[in-house]
Amino acid sequence: MTGCQSRYENLDLSMYQYRDTKNLVKFVYDAASILEKEGMKGLDYFRHNRTMFITEDYYLYIYDTDGINMFHAGMEHLEGKNLADITDKDGKKPYQMALRALEDPHNPHAWVHYSWWEPGKFFPVPKSSCHFKVTTPEGTQLFVGGGLNYPFEEKEFIRIIVDGAVDLIEKKGKSALSEISDPLSHYHYRDVCVFAFRPNGDIVISPIMGSSIYGIQLLECRDQVGHKPFMSALKKLKSKNEAWEIFMVKSRYQRQLVKKCLYLRKAVLSGEEIFVGAITNLPMPV
Amino acid sequence: MDKEETAIEYSVNQVPPLRHLLLSSIQHVLIMFVSLALPVIFASQIMGSVEFTANFIAFSMLAAGLGSIMQSVGLPFIGSRYLCPNVCGPSYFSLSLSAAWTGGIPLMRGMIIVAGLIEMALAPVLQKLKNVFPTFIVGLVVAMVGVSVIKISVASVFGVAYQGDGIRNSDIIIGICSLMVMVLCNIWGRGFVKTYCLLIGMVFGWVLAVLLLPEYWHSILEVHDVPLFALPSMGHAFTHITFDLKMLIPFTIIAISGSLKSFGNLLAAQKISEPGLQEPNFVPIRRGLLADGASTALAGLLGGMAVDTSSSNIGLAGATKVLSRWISVGAGVIFVVLAFLPKISTVLSLTPKPVFGAAIVFTGCFMICIGLQETFSETWDPRKTFVVGIALFSGLSTAFLPELYARAPHVIQIFFTDPLPTTAIVAVVLNQIFNIDLIIGRLKKKNHR
Repeated sequence: MTGCQSRYENLDLSMYQYRDTKNLVKFVYDAASILEKEGMKGLDYFRHNRTMFITEDYYLYIYDTDGINMFHAGMEHLEGKNLADITDKDGKKPYQMALRALEDPHNPHAWVHYSWWEPGKFFPVPKSSCHFKVTTPEGTQLFVGGGLNYPFEEKEFIRIIVDGAVDLIEKKGKSALSEISDPLSHYHYRDVCVFAFRPNGDIVISPIMGSSIYGIQLLECRDQVGHKPFMSALKKLKSKNEAWEIFMVKSRYQRQLVKKCLYLRKAVLSGEEIFVGAITNLPMPV
Repeated sequence: MDKEETAIEYSVNQVPPLRHLLLSSIQHVLIMFVSLALPVIFASQIMGSVEFTANFIAFSMLAAGLGSIMQSVGLPFIGSRYLCPNVCGPSYFSLSLSAAWTGGIPLMRGMIIVAGLIEMALAPVLQKLKNVFPTFIVGLVVAMVGVSVIKISVASVFGVAYQGDGIRNSDIIIGICSLMVMVLCNIWGRGFVKTYCLLIGMVFGWVLAVLLLPEYWHSILEVHDVPLFALPSMGHAFTHITFDLKMLIPFTIIAISGSLKSFGNLLAAQKISEPGLQEPNFVPIRRGLLADGASTALAGLLGGMAVDTSSSNIGLAGATKVLSRWISVGAGVIFVVLAFLPKISTVLSLTPKPVFGAAIVFTGCFMICIGLQETFSETWDPRKTFVVGIALFSGLSTAFLPELYARAPHVIQIFFTDPLPTTAIVAVVLNQIFNIDLIIGRLKKKNHR
């Protein structure tokens, strides 16, 4: 059956739910394969076929490890510039985040989330980008990336940041908490943030505010249909290392209830067991 | 209309020769498979294991198959005896999920049983409404049965599973070509080709999909590990049944809405099967609603998804003029058998989404046109213009402006749910109001006598 083999056989996309997300990863993966094979000559290929690497939803870019933009299908004027310290409207540094994501073992496609703008437009748009590291035949280290404007929320995105936060807490202890709760860190994007609480429900990092607030009993929180997602997730965590819990909320713009999901993991903070998690939206069937 | 167009191939009580019975049943089964996407999505939304998903699909197929048999075989007191198979009902999807998240599968089962019993209780009530359903409103309801599948069918032709997700050009080509093959076989085909136009279109769509998108071929190859035969097992999730009073009201509302939809489907099935009837015969409709409710309760008892009568299958019957109820029985038997043959049912459920979408568009066309013909077959007057017009404005607005109704007063949200039930309710109420002078006049005349 070799004739039917897909060139994406080594690319695991099973964790993604949206076709748009899968298409973007394939798009960037294909470009990385070209660069790996053609080396620095490949850059000329990209520049001569610029329209092939820009679609309505995403475009390709290539950076070297010093922050120099080598190719930008959507914004040609950025090529040759050092964008290592460029910040988005919230103060996030997309280049630095991408470098970090490429080294993160929990983040196989090096996803980062930030604000950018669309070519020719003048207002910020939310963006999620994936990246692949490339070593050219000449030995040059580069990375290739592409990002979706107005991306859909994937469950995988919160798995990456929660698993990363658990590792950080177990490695650094209490000093990890300030890093995780920093809104400029990669543990925060759009409406999503990593939070933590103790088994009795006491909040360590709030899921809502920058500082812990009184009055929220996480374990007693109910969704729109009376389901207790935190309580239910803790039950699952008695026999598992991780728990996914779906719950429903009322959106004032939609007839149907909107589905969200909670991803929760156990972590040990200075000898004490805590729970670390994040919440995101789920896709709505047509 | 010429004779060729109106000729019935097999009438409602006729038993077709075995070969035709089998092929026609398979054609209907293929459409019924569209609805199996629902238990698959359901299982993924509650993070069900592979084993749970397989059992859940099998129980849903059993319920739909047995329901189809009950609806058509001719049991005493129950079943419409029309070609009107059962499929997994989309109207119960969201609420069943809520029940499953709140109290697990036991609560979902309990509440589906309750909904089924409510549907059964409504059957004699709806029969009493025969005076409020004149021919033009019956036609309108039938047309809205076709309209109600527009969303799912068009989204499927574009190959989209989730709201807002990306579209592939190949999927659109597959969907449009499949639809064209079905339509052209129906228009220009003779004999076998005309009767099995949908089957031919679906096979053509499958082949085209495999040629254009290798992933469809890869997905078939993955079926290799699925067993040929397996008994659905009553695992841990399927051993209990529980109830929750808080869920009674939403399930009652959905049961009423489901009954109205099945009422429309059964009226359409009757119109297609017995075109000579001057006015609706409500006895088979009542029996059909009773069977629909019983099938829903059975689905809850078995541990499958709630079932519903299938608009698309009724449309297919209208398109092919093959109306024999024994085909519905045959389709039900095949569905039950396939519940024990996971390899074959998995292959069928892998049918490309655009091909399924084309099949639903094809059948929906017939429902809409049969209904509209029925509506405008009567002498027209301004009263009817406003009854039909306002009912359509109200019903279609629920599909065009869902965000508006999301913020409407609660009482409006209860009655303005989907195009079909909303149009039916508004048309019936307005028809009574706009004819109040005639009704009072008739009453006065009676009193004078």
